[in-house]
Amino acid sequence: MRIVRLIARDELRLMLRNRVALIAFALIMLLTLVAIASSWSHQRSIADLRARHQHEAEHAFDAQPDRHPHRMVHYGHFIFRPPGPLAAFDPGVDAFTGNSMFLEGHRQNTANFGDVRQSSLLLRFGQLTPAFVLQIIAPLLMIFLGFGALARETERGTLSLLMLQGASRGQVVAGKLLALGLVAAAVAAPAILGLVAIAGQPGALALPMLTIALGYLLYLGLWTVLIVFVSTMVRRSRDSLLVLVALWAVTTILLPRAVPDVAANAVPLRNRLQTDVAIARDLRRLGDSHNPDDPHFAQFKQRLLDRYKVTRVEDLPLNYKGLLAIEGERLTSGLFDRYAGESYTAQTRQNGLVDASGLLSPAIALRGLSMAAAGTDFAAHRRFLEQAEAYRYALVQRLNRMEAEAVSYADDTATDADADRRKRVAATNWQAMPDFRFVAPDGSMLARAALPGLALLAVWLAGASALLALATRRLGARR
Amino acid sequence: MTLWAHELRLLLRQRLSAFALVLLALLSVAAIVAGMAEIARQRAAIAAIPAAQAEDIGAVADYVDRTRDAGSAAYYSFHPTWDAPSPLAFAALGMRDVSPFILRVRALGLEAQIYDGDTFNPELALPGRFDFAFVLVFLAPLFVIALFHDLVSGEREAGRQRTLDALPRGGAALWRRRTLLRLALLWTALALPFAIAAAIEGVATGPILIVLAVTLAYLLFWIALTALVARCRWSSVANAATLAALWLVLVLIVPTLGHVAINRAVPIAQGAEIALAQREAVNHAWDIPRDDTMRRFYAAHPEWADSPPLGSEFHYKWYLAFHQNADEGVAGQVRAYREGLERRDRAGRALGWLLPSVGVQGLLTRLAHTDLAGQLAYQDRIRAYHARLRSFYYGYLFRDRPFAKADFRRAPRFDDDTAS
Repeated sequence: MRIVRLIARDELRLMLRNRVALIAFALIMLLTLVAIASSWSHQRSIADLRARHQHEAEHAFDAQPDRHPHRMVHYGHFIFRPPGPLAAFDPGVDAFTGNSMFLEGHRQNTANFGDVRQSSLLLRFGQLTPAFVLQIIAPLLMIFLGFGALARETERGTLSLLMLQGASRGQVVAGKLLALGLVAAAVAAPAILGLVAIAGQPGALALPMLTIALGYLLYLGLWTVLIVFVSTMVRRSRDSLLVLVALWAVTTILLPRAVPDVAANAVPLRNRLQTDVAIARDLRRLGDSHNPDDPHFAQFKQRLLDRYKVTRVEDLPLNYKGLLAIEGERLTSGLFDRYAGESYTAQTRQNGLVDASGLLSPAIALRGLSMAAAGTDFAAHRRFLEQAEAYRYALVQRLNRMEAEAVSYADDTATDADADRRKRVAATNWQAMPDFRFVAPDGSMLARAALPGLALLAVWLAGASALLALATRRLGARR
Repeated sequence: MTLWAHELRLLLRQRLSAFALVLLALLSVAAIVAGMAEIARQRAAIAAIPAAQAEDIGAVADYVDRTRDAGSAAYYSFHPTWDAPSPLAFAALGMRDVSPFILRVRALGLEAQIYDGDTFNPELALPGRFDFAFVLVFLAPLFVIALFHDLVSGEREAGRQRTLDALPRGGAALWRRRTLLRLALLWTALALPFAIAAAIEGVATGPILIVLAVTLAYLLFWIALTALVARCRWSSVANAATLAALWLVLVLIVPTLGHVAINRAVPIAQGAEIALAQREAVNHAWDIPRDDTMRRFYAAHPEWADSPPLGSEFHYKWYLAFHQNADEGVAGQVRAYREGLERRDRAGRALGWLLPSVGVQGLLTRLAHTDLAGQLAYQDRIRAYHARLRSFYYGYLFRDRPFAKADFRRAPRFDDDTAS
């Protein structure tokens, strides 16, 4: 152990003497701090902005005057997706999804105004966040500091000198690992501290944060092993550097871009126009409330008349138009759910293909893990969309029921000059409507979603360690 | 000539160089194929519009035919618009993956419709697209570094530099020859697949030449950088590390810092505020005297002011009038929002003058009409089309003409525009 420590200390001393390495290290530290600060303040400001908009929208809804309930169905409601507590660490797809939604009757609107359509082209180069620094930049810095760890000793012949002095191969490699591992820990430290600072936030969850910290440590540990492995295998330090930079470029830059293209081609998505047309088609088959001869609605009407033992809809104790609206909304929403479900399933399959390619690229595995635990992946966005749809449906049906119960059929169908006033329902009703509250997933659920990524990284680390162990045994052998 | 052939043999005998050149050619072919597949998919989606639309509008026509009410026709008819990809779009997909290229609009308030998006998977969009622009901007510099970092230092380390300098036609001429050879091979690996694909896609000669020139200039920039680093006479290893670090800074770090700085320096009143304000204006109309709405509408559109007065019954001309009033009420906000977007875009492009990576990306997406300007131009075409839709339906509503089945075919079509 003493020898291992000695070798590690020697390696670190050499890195410290390398002025370029020191400057690069300092820059990375600075960059991480800038990333933490800017990402943090950005997330705070969008959280505040969305909370303010949400508050304004709720206030506007409550402040509506006396109205016909169906007017309120079309007045609808605006809801805003609150960013998750860990979005400052890894904002995931937040900038790529719309964050506001207009909810109204018989229509399912898209989430609009994502940052990606409101920013300059620079957004597509990447976002400066602690996650970006650790996933992409930190490994490259470690490569610069560690590519020569053993290749240099082999190249200069100092390796045999070390071994002549009594250090075993295992001890030499362990010493280099220890030195580079300390560098990795130092690189990760500011970002992990940033994560801990976020922990002070209300709503931050311990389990996902632990998962994230573990995932990033595994990832940087993996790069440590990979770098030492390549440095062990290759006889010249220049080759070691080129192989490692190529490995880095392929796994963190190329594959994360190329794999989604494959996934998009493998699983097609139905676009909005085709979805809308298909929903309209299905709706005509199910029952067309506009068509007086429609069998579904004729049956619906007959059932109502039978139940209340009357012969005309005018004699029903409830407003027939309201009941019709409830039935119509039930039919359309069923279709919305079905088509949205199909689209979510297709997107989940696409993401599944990308996640599986974590076997080819640890950066992809880590990205999936990080977004899942931070609650900023597609699954999180889907949760928002599904809760929004559930809220929309409940709100619209409450209003439809109000039309059925509080507005008489005679008033509702009247067209005289005073009819508009009689159709209206008191404004106090709007304040009684529940507000939208996004139910965030609990920590164990987020952490569970991150497990596959964690397992992939563990496999990578185990595989790399096995390779390193094999390479260590052959270290210094004449080839 | 034999000297060149000799240099080529020397270069290709190095496993690293030969491998790098083949890999770059393969990557640019793969990126171009991926880009062309994506554009083919988008074209197919656009080509599928008429069939779906005919079915949809046919059902609306059947329903409206019972009343022949032009208002119902306007309310229930969605009209498709689309943004056909430019021939060059395959090379730089730009924002086409996150912005809609198909959008259906009704003759109601446009501000509640024009910001809608299409279905896309955000996790696939997050890392950015794999297209020719990506290979050129992100990957090509790495290949320049691989081929150039030891151009001189490698010979020095092998102890051949003095000999080479002393040779007849050696020295500067030799390094020039080697540099030109490597440049020509790298450029060919990128340019040849691109030129073939561009010819297949029917790109005009002008843009092709510009892209080829930009490719060359961008490679030259990186080669100049390697030459600059080589002047320090460090070892090959130090050269490679320095160049890779420069790549990291120029291609990844500065653009992300620039993004933060620009979004901070150019705040945008969020688009959501337009949507909120427009919806208030629309719904407020139900609570004010209907004549107020009509007066305001006629003041702005005197061509319809001779329409008969409203009765006590609901009339769609009032409904459409307050929708248009609401659009006009938020026009100032819409302008400010758009100006903000354009200011951000300009700031990003301005950075392109300093950062070749950003400059090339900006130029390629501009040429391909896949940047913000392309998106805004599409929105302008939607706005112009929407205005034509409005006056089409108003011609029936404000003149109380019935809307028969045949009239559905008379509705303006998006591709009647000369612009598209």
